[in-house]
Amino acid sequence: MSQPIASRRQSYWDLRAAGNFIGGGSGAGLVVMAALAALAGAPFRLALALGLAGVLLGLSLVWLEIGKPWRALNVFFHPRTSWMTREGIVASLLFPAGLAASLMASPAATSLAALLAGGFLYCQARILRAARGIPAWRQAEIVPLILATGLAEGSGLYLLVGTATTAAIGCALLAALAREAAWRAYRAGLAGTQLAAPSLAVFDSPAARGARAAQVAAVALMVLALVAARLAPEVSASLGVAAGALAAGGGWGLKALLITRAAFTRPVAIPAMPMRGSSDARAWRTSRS
Amino acid sequence: MSSAPLRESPPATAGDGTSRAVPSYCYNCVAGPDLMTVRVENGVVTRIEPCHAAASIHPGLGRVCVKAFGLVQKTYNPHRVLTPMKRTNPRKGRDEDPGFVPISWDEALDTIAARLQDIRARGLVDEAGLPRVAATFGHGGTPQSYMGTFPAFLSAWGPIDYSFGSGQGVKCVHSEHLYGEFWHRGFTVCADTVHTRYVISCGSNIEVSGGVCAVRRHADARIRGVKRVQVEPHLSPTAACSAEWVPIKPKTDPAFLLALVHTLLFEHERTALDLPFLLDRTAAPYLVAADGYYLRDPTTGKPLLWDEASGGPVPFDTPGARPALEGRFTVATAMTRGPDNEINPLQNAAARTAFTAMADAMLSYTADWAAGVCDVPAATIRRIAAEFLDNACIGATIDIDGEVLPFRPVAVTLGKTVNNGWGAYECCWARTMLATLVGALEVPGGTLGTTVRLNRPHENRLLSVKPGEDGFMAAHFNATDRNGWMAQPSGRNAHRTLVPILGNSPWAQALGPTHLAWMFSRAAPDEWPTPNLPEIWFAFRTNPVISFWDTAEIGRAMARMPFIVAFAYTFDETNHMADILLPDATDLESTQMIRIGGTKFVEQHWAHHGVALRAPAVAPQGEARDFTWISTELARRAGLLERYNAALNRGAAGAPLKGDGYDFSLATDRAHDVDTIWNAVCQAATAELGGPAETRDLDWFKQHGHYVVPFKRGDWYLYPTMVRLGLRFELPYQERLLRVGEELGRRLHEQNIHWWDRQLDEYVALPQWHDVPARWERAIRELGADPMDYPLWGITTKVMPYTTGNNAGIPLMHEVSANLRGHGAVIINAATAARLGIAAGDRVEVRSPIGSTTGRAEIVQGCRPDTVVIPGQFDHWKTPFAKDLAFPSLNTVVPMSLALTDATGSGADVVRVAVRKLRAEADAP
Amino acid sequence: MTRYVMVADLRRCVGCQTCTAACKEGNGTPPGVQWRRVLDLESGTYPNVHRVFVPVGCQHCANPPCLEVCPSTATRQRPDGIVTIDYDLCIGCSYCIMACPYDARSLVDRTHYAFGDTPTPAEAARVHHQTSGVATKCTFCAKRIDAGVARGLVPGTDPEATPLCVNSCISGALSFGDIDDPAGPVAELLAENQWFRMHESEGTEPGFYYIWDKGTL
Repeated sequence: MSQPIASRRQSYWDLRAAGNFIGGGSGAGLVVMAALAALAGAPFRLALALGLAGVLLGLSLVWLEIGKPWRALNVFFHPRTSWMTREGIVASLLFPAGLAASLMASPAATSLAALLAGGFLYCQARILRAARGIPAWRQAEIVPLILATGLAEGSGLYLLVGTATTAAIGCALLAALAREAAWRAYRAGLAGTQLAAPSLAVFDSPAARGARAAQVAAVALMVLALVAARLAPEVSASLGVAAGALAAGGGWGLKALLITRAAFTRPVAIPAMPMRGSSDARAWRTSRS
Repeated sequence: MSSAPLRESPPATAGDGTSRAVPSYCYNCVAGPDLMTVRVENGVVTRIEPCHAAASIHPGLGRVCVKAFGLVQKTYNPHRVLTPMKRTNPRKGRDEDPGFVPISWDEALDTIAARLQDIRARGLVDEAGLPRVAATFGHGGTPQSYMGTFPAFLSAWGPIDYSFGSGQGVKCVHSEHLYGEFWHRGFTVCADTVHTRYVISCGSNIEVSGGVCAVRRHADARIRGVKRVQVEPHLSPTAACSAEWVPIKPKTDPAFLLALVHTLLFEHERTALDLPFLLDRTAAPYLVAADGYYLRDPTTGKPLLWDEASGGPVPFDTPGARPALEGRFTVATAMTRGPDNEINPLQNAAARTAFTAMADAMLSYTADWAAGVCDVPAATIRRIAAEFLDNACIGATIDIDGEVLPFRPVAVTLGKTVNNGWGAYECCWARTMLATLVGALEVPGGTLGTTVRLNRPHENRLLSVKPGEDGFMAAHFNATDRNGWMAQPSGRNAHRTLVPILGNSPWAQALGPTHLAWMFSRAAPDEWPTPNLPEIWFAFRTNPVISFWDTAEIGRAMARMPFIVAFAYTFDETNHMADILLPDATDLESTQMIRIGGTKFVEQHWAHHGVALRAPAVAPQGEARDFTWISTELARRAGLLERYNAALNRGAAGAPLKGDGYDFSLATDRAHDVDTIWNAVCQAATAELGGPAETRDLDWFKQHGHYVVPFKRGDWYLYPTMVRLGLRFELPYQERLLRVGEELGRRLHEQNIHWWDRQLDEYVALPQWHDVPARWERAIRELGADPMDYPLWGITTKVMPYTTGNNAGIPLMHEVSANLRGHGAVIINAATAARLGIAAGDRVEVRSPIGSTTGRAEIVQGCRPDTVVIPGQFDHWKTPFAKDLAFPSLNTVVPMSLALTDATGSGADVVRVAVRKLRAEADAP
Repeated sequence: MTRYVMVADLRRCVGCQTCTAACKEGNGTPPGVQWRRVLDLESGTYPNVHRVFVPVGCQHCANPPCLEVCPSTATRQRPDGIVTIDYDLCIGCSYCIMACPYDARSLVDRTHYAFGDTPTPAEAARVHHQTSGVATKCTFCAKRIDAGVARGLVPGTDPEATPLCVNSCISGALSFGDIDDPAGPVAELLAENQWFRMHESEGTEPGFYYIWDKGTL
C-alpha cells in the first residue's frame, strides 16, 4: 500500500529566514577565512568586518521575520536545548570577539573569533537539524552541508574582498570540494528517507540546477586559477574572483531554495488502514440471534 | 404511550448577564433536527455546542453536525439584507442591476397586501384554473421549520401553486419517495443499522448526508462488525468507510440490482428464500393472467391464488389456503380487471403466479450479463448476492421490547442519482424485491421506511396504513379514469395530471415534475397551453438559479416572473430577480417549535419523540423580523386574520391548539404576538404528547429546550402492522401501476398528447432493463451534438458542511471543507487526467452541449476513469463570498428536458461531458 | 499521575470536519488556523483504493520536539502531559512549527476575519489579539479541563471538562481522558483495540492514539 501524502511546503520561514542562513553562513565563513588570513599575516580586517556584517545582516532579517520583534531578547531563554538560543548566545559573543580581533590582531583573538564563527555556523546547522517537521532539514547530513557551505561561501567571498592569493584560492577550493562532498552525501541521505520526494524535485528544478552549476563551475575555476597561478599568474586572481563569486552565489541560491522551496512538512504516516466493519462475510454467523 | 415525560433536559445554564446557554435546534437539512446549545456572551452569540442534556434520548448523543457551527457566522454575516427592500429597475435578468432600495416594513407589507387583496378580488385562480399565487421553499421541507406561522398564512389564503421547484426530483431521492411510500410507507428508506449485519449501498452517501444520527449508528455498526458494500462510481466518504467499494458505471445500478435478484432466484436453492414471508406478506402467489392483470374471482373480484391444499384457485384471503408460490396453472372460470375497469371474463385461463412471472422476467439478467453493463465482475455480483443471502438469517427472530419479530439483518440502500431519474423505478423495485425475497422488508435488521409525506399522519407512518384493495395497503393515486382524470392541471407542473402515484397530499405538488413548471412557462409542448405565470411568487430559503438543472435557463425563466417576494438573507441569484425583499430573523434569532424523534427522514430512529423549541438566542440583526410576525402582519393586512388564526388553531404551527382535555385556541379576531402564538403551541404540543397534566409553556421551553415521551422501538417496523391488519406488501407484481399507466396513456392520447409517451413506458408490472445510460447519450444527440465528443460521465457528490445547507456564503464552511478532497474542484481519475494532460491543481473546463463550468482539477485514484465528479452546488454569481470562490457546478451543464424526465417526474444529476485543461496550476491566479 | 491523551478511532471517523468547526469556533482561531482538523487521505491505485480520514493536531508528546527547540521557553509541558504555549513569552520565530513532526502549529502575523478586515461581533468577542504573531496550537482545551477538574468533573467523561472537538464528534471517533486511569474510557479503548501513534520512531511519545482495529496489540 502506498503511503498517503499530506505534506505541504512550509510557509513560515521565507527569504528573510533564508537570509539568516545566507548572511550568517557566509559571514561566519568569511570570519573564519579572515582569521586564517590574520594568522597568515595577510590583510584581514575588511573581510572580518564584512563577515560580522553578514552575520548581523542575517540576524536582522530574522528579527524582521519574527512575530514579536520587541521580545527578541527572549531568544536567550532556552540554552539548555534550543540551538536557536545557542545561536543567539554565540552571535552575541562573536561580535565583541570580532571587534577584539580587529583591534588586537593577536592570534588568540582572531582564533577566538574564528572559533565562535565556526560555532555560530554549527548552531545554524543544528537549528535545521533539529527541525524535525521538515524532512529536508532534519537529515543528519544537513550539518556538514551547512558547515561546508558556509565555509565555501565565506572563502569564496574572501576571494572577492580579500586577496585572491594561491593560498586563499586553495582554501576556497578545499571548502568548495568539501561542500561538493557534503552535498552528495546530503542528497544521498535524503533520497534514502523516502520522505523527501518533493524536496528532491525542487533540487532537480532549473533554479537548483543553476545554483549547483555555479558551485561546480566555481570548483573548476578555482582549479583553473591554481593552474593559472603557475602558467599565467595575471589571470589567476581574476579567475579566483570569478570562482569566489560563483561559490558564494551558488551557495546562496541553493540555501534560499533549501529554506523556502524545498522545505516540505513531514507526510502523515498511517501504518495500518482502519477496518471499517467486517471484511469477512461470515463474521456474524456465530452471533446469530 | 406513557403520559409522563421520560426525561426533561436540565435548565439552561443560569444566565449571569454575561454568559448564557440557549437551547435550540438546527434543521438546515432533512437529516435533522439536531438539538444544540447556543452560547451567548455579553449579548453576542459566540459558539454552538451540542445539547449534552439530550445525550440519553438522541440517537446521536445530542451532537450537532458541522453545518450548525456555521450559524454564528450566518447570524453576523455583514452581507445580510437587514431592511425590507424594493426593486427600482423593472427589467429583470442576470445582467440587470435590480436597484434595490431600502423601504419600511409598512411599505413592503402594504405593497404585498395590496396585490394580494387585488388578486382576492379577481379570484384566487386564473382563467386556466391555475393559482395566481405561487410559493417555493427550499430543501426537503426544512424551510417550513424556519417560516414560523407562514403555513397558517398559506392555508388561510387558499390555492397556492407549489410547482416551481428548486431542485426537487433532481436533487432528492425522488423515485424512492414515491415508490418507497407506495410499497412500504417509506418516503425515504434506510437500513435498520442498529441491527443489520450486511448492507448493499448503491450510491447512498449516508456518511455525508445521513446526519448525526445516521453517522453515529453506522459508526457503531462498523465497530460491531457490519459489512457494508458501497456500489458507486467514485470513492465517497461512505465508500471510504465501507468494507468494500465496487466502482460501478454511472446509471447502470438497475442492471446490478436486477442481477442480484436473478442470482437469488436462479443460483440458490428456492428454500434459501423466506418462503413464508413471500407467501403470506406479499402478492407472490397471486395468479397473473396472460393479459398481464391479476386473475380474479368472477364473483368477488378478488385476486386468486392457487391453493395446493384443494388443488384449485381460491381468493387470496381464503382462510386455510396453502398457496403455491410458483407454477403455471389453468383456471376454469375467472376474470381480469383491466384499465378503465374493463372486465375480461376468462374460461380455462392460463395463469402463472406473480412469483413465476417475476422469475420469468428476471431470467435473462444474469451476473454475466450485468457485468458487461455495469463494469462490475460477475463473480463480484454473485459473491455479493451470496453474502446477502447468507447474512439474512432466514428463520431467526429477535425480541424488540417484548415483541418477537423476524430478524433479517440485511439491507439494500440507494442514493441520489440511483433512486431518481430513469432507471430509478427499476432500482427501487429491485431493492425492495431483494428485501422481500429474504423477508427483510420492514423487520429488524432489514430495509425500512422512515416516514411518510404523501400519506398521513406525518408523525406516525404506521397510522397511515389502511386496508385497501386486493389485500394491499390503501394507495391514494391521482385519478386516471375517464371521469376523475384532471385534464386541466391544478398547478403548473401538472402533477395530478401526469403522475398518478403522487396523489394529492399537501406535499405532492412540490414532488411533482417541478422542472416542468419552469420549462412550460417558456414553451409548452403540443396540445398544452402555455400557463400564465403566477402574479405573486413567494420564495424562501431557496435558490433555484443555483440548485436546479440548467441553471441559466432557470434564471431566464425566473426573470419573467411579474412579482417576486423573496425572504432574503443576503442578496443571491434568485432574489436578484425579486421585487420585494423581506429580511426574516434567521436561525438564532427566531422562535419556532419542531417535532423531534420517532422515525423520521433519512435515518432517525429514536426511542422517544416529542417537540423542541428554537428560541431567539439574540435579537434579530437590523430590521430583520421574526417570520411569525411577518406572517401575522401579512394576514392582517391582506384581510385574512380570522382564517389565519383559525388555521393556527387547526394546527398549522405544528400542533392543533385544541384536543382532548385541553384548549389553547387563539382568539381569531385579533393579531397575536409571536410569543403568544408559540406559547399556545408549546402548551398544546405537550398536552398532546403527555396529556393535559404535562403541559409546558413557552418559558419552560426557553429554559429546557425540548420535551419527549417514549416511542416504542417496535414502531420502527411496519411488519407488525401489516400482520395485524392482514395486509400484503404490493410486491413483486405491479398490476396497479400497469393499469394506471395504461389509463393515463389513454387519457393523454384522448387529448392528443404524445409528449409524455416515453414516461408511459415506465408503467410495467415487472421492471425490465432498458439501456439507461443510453438515454443520456441520446439526450446529447437531441441537443445536436455527438456523444463521442462528450466521452466522460459528469456526476456530483456532497460534503457534509454544504449538504443541503444553503450556506455557500458562510466562510467557516468553506474553510473546513477545504480539508476534504474535491472542494470546489473537478475530481478526476489519475489515469484519465494523465491521458488528458491534466496535472493536479490545473484549471479545467467541464463542458456539455448546454454550457461549461470551470474548476481546479483534483486528481484521485478513487474515481472511475470514465467519470468526473463535481461536488456541491456552486457557480454563484451574486451571493456574497460564494461568488468569489470561482467554483464549478454540475448544475450549469446538466440539461433540463422531457427526455431526461422519468414517469415520476424526476431526473438525475448526470450528464455526458468533455473535460479539457485550461491552464496549468502555476498559471492559475 | 495523570496523563491526558486523545484517541481517534479511524474506523469511525467520516471526515465531516465537525470537530474542526467546533474547535475553531470554541477557541476563536482566525481563518486558516485549525488546531484540530481532519485530513482526507487516499492510498492505492484504482480500483484498489483506500481513503481514510485522520484527525490531526498537537499530539501533546511526552518528548515534544517543539519544546526542545523553543528559544524563549514559551512552549512548556504540564505534569499532566499537556504541552502549552505562553503567548506572552513567545517571540513568534516559528521554529517550533518547523520542529513539529505533526504539522500541528500555526502562526498568523496579522489577525484577519471571516468576512475581511472587520470582525463580526462574535469574532470581536472570541478572537484573541494576544495570539497574533505567536505560535498557536491545540491546547487540549486546557482551560476547560482545568475549570472542569476544579469543579470535580472528569475530563473525557463530563462534557464540561472535555475538549470541544471530542464533545462535538458526531461519529464517536474522538475520545479523551487520563490514560493512567485504568477505569477511564481511554484506557479501556486502548486495551481492547489495536492502535498506533504517528511517527512512533521519532521517540516523541505522542499523547494521541489512532485505533484501527479491534483486538490487542
